[in-house]
Amino acid sequence: MTKTLLVTGAGGVGKTTFAAALAVKAARAGVRTLVVTVDPARRLASTLGVEDLGDEPQPHADEPDLWAAMLDSKASWRAVAMRHADPDVATRLADNEFFEAASEHFPASQSYAAADQAATFVQARAWDLVIVDTPPSGGGIDFFAAPAQMADLVGGRLLRWITGGPLPGRRFFYDRAARPVLRIAGSILGSDLLERVSEFLLDLRTTYDGVARRGREIEAVLKEAVILVITTADPAPVGEAVRFYRQLPELASTPAAVIFNRALPADWAGVAPDPDLSAELGRLVEQWSAETVRQADAREEFSARYGAVVAAVPWQSHPPTDLSGLAALIDDSTGIPWDSLLP
Amino acid sequence: MLDKRLVIVSGKGGVGKSAVSSALALLAQRNGLRVLAVEMEAGGLAAHFGTGPLAFEPREVRPGLHAMRIVRSDALLEYLSLQLRLPGMGRFGAVARAFDALATAAPAVREIVSIGKILWEVKEDRWDLVVADAPPTGQIASYLRAPASISELVATGRIRSQAGWMADTLRDPARTRLVLVTLPEELPTAETRESMDWVEKTGVVGPPLVITNRVLSEVTGTSTLEGVAGAMVRLHRSLWTEQQTWLDRLPPDLTLPYLFGLFTPGEVAAHISDELEALR
Repeated sequence: MTKTLLVTGAGGVGKTTFAAALAVKAARAGVRTLVVTVDPARRLASTLGVEDLGDEPQPHADEPDLWAAMLDSKASWRAVAMRHADPDVATRLADNEFFEAASEHFPASQSYAAADQAATFVQARAWDLVIVDTPPSGGGIDFFAAPAQMADLVGGRLLRWITGGPLPGRRFFYDRAARPVLRIAGSILGSDLLERVSEFLLDLRTTYDGVARRGREIEAVLKEAVILVITTADPAPVGEAVRFYRQLPELASTPAAVIFNRALPADWAGVAPDPDLSAELGRLVEQWSAETVRQADAREEFSARYGAVVAAVPWQSHPPTDLSGLAALIDDSTGIPWDSLLP
Repeated sequence: MLDKRLVIVSGKGGVGKSAVSSALALLAQRNGLRVLAVEMEAGGLAAHFGTGPLAFEPREVRPGLHAMRIVRSDALLEYLSLQLRLPGMGRFGAVARAFDALATAAPAVREIVSIGKILWEVKEDRWDLVVADAPPTGQIASYLRAPASISELVATGRIRSQAGWMADTLRDPARTRLVLVTLPEELPTAETRESMDWVEKTGVVGPPLVITNRVLSEVTGTSTLEGVAGAMVRLHRSLWTEQQTWLDRLPPDLTLPYLFGLFTPGEVAAHISDELEALR
């Protein structure tokens, strides 16, 4: 059976690099591994060999058990709707100017597309391990709530709001004169826009059965997955990590570990500068020592308060630029519950 | 920046956008201005001001400094009643919900409700300065171009008639300044440059001010230190060297130092505010 590993966390904490590092390490241990990333940095994309690739998984040229795919969330959301609509409706949707706005405005849509794509890879049973770098929209937690929210959206929640009650038929909107709500909305937005939006929502509604069924399959995959929360020791990302750690058990499962990235060596804490040092270097030693203490406090507090398994990934001055550099990131880490991550 | 009426702060996620927004608001407040700080996404400013969750109704968090959060349903009702002059909209929940549903599918309608509230506060003249902790750079474009998009998209309707003065306020460099917070790292640098290009191309807002956060100091002199101190100096040097690569590609507008050993968002905001005061 394919094991799924979801790497979640706020933006900018090194989530993508960490997911890639885990994948390299697993592949080198002989596990057939696919890593699915969203928007990697150019250097990382080229290290993984996915610079020019779409969402089709590709094997790495130098590492036979390592596969990588990059998600294009906009394209795949479109693909999802196309898959569940009749051909003529699908064409209308594809040409509709509101499609993009709806996918931008509905925060879960990017996450839904990513979750759907990831679930497809897991269900393909072509890999032993699928590692997913979850998109950061909505702080990353969206990823888990997206299937249900998406079904609700296309199922006509917006249409019911517009009519203030039952799902309307197509004629409802042409009969607008009789409906004060629509008359007012029309006077604000212009009647032409109102009609075009309504047509779009009616078309979207025809995808409901397919989206709801697929949503349940996606949820089943997410509930089986092992989750890692990644953060730095900075106050804002830690705040996000706390939120994830507390909400994820309800949505999926308790995270297997909270990974603190950019950790400084433990023996840097409490180091006093040598009196012979210049004022400049003395100050520098004090600063990095203080930073190490702060980081250790943040990790200890997380572990003590929430009972989390806490791991530390070392701070590297340069991002890894080859597979060995990525693997070294894991080798130099402490506290990663490696055995529970592999199939 | 303090001579503007509106400062909109954006940046890639994780660069310290909310910390800089709150520091700017604190800086203006300590210089005697009446300030409104607006949080467009939940959480950022409240943590840095050390208050509980913010509400749509502005609350005084320091003498002369008020803070609020854009709550979309409240902003929508206010937009419908005040700006579109539909009296008593609070009683017509159905119209508001219908409008909200339409706004989910129609480009720019939802954004104009949020940015419209901020521009309305500027227009009403109650504040010397409004500081907006805006959405990240990935989404900021759709907010800044919302008034222009509405003018293109909507041929008639009351929403269109409001779009004109909003676009003018955003475009006027004497009144509005966009601040892009960034880090000297690959992805934040790339996103900042993309945003700068977009702003220049569209002209929906004047030239942005780029604030580069967490910049390390240069360590001069040679060092053959061993042990922990040596390791610290080596890490610092190589991080500094890596930062130079990206600093070279960013405008030299304003840099803020890396803050070592700080524990709370409140401490971070206070320190950045001190740094900005010293730079004045």
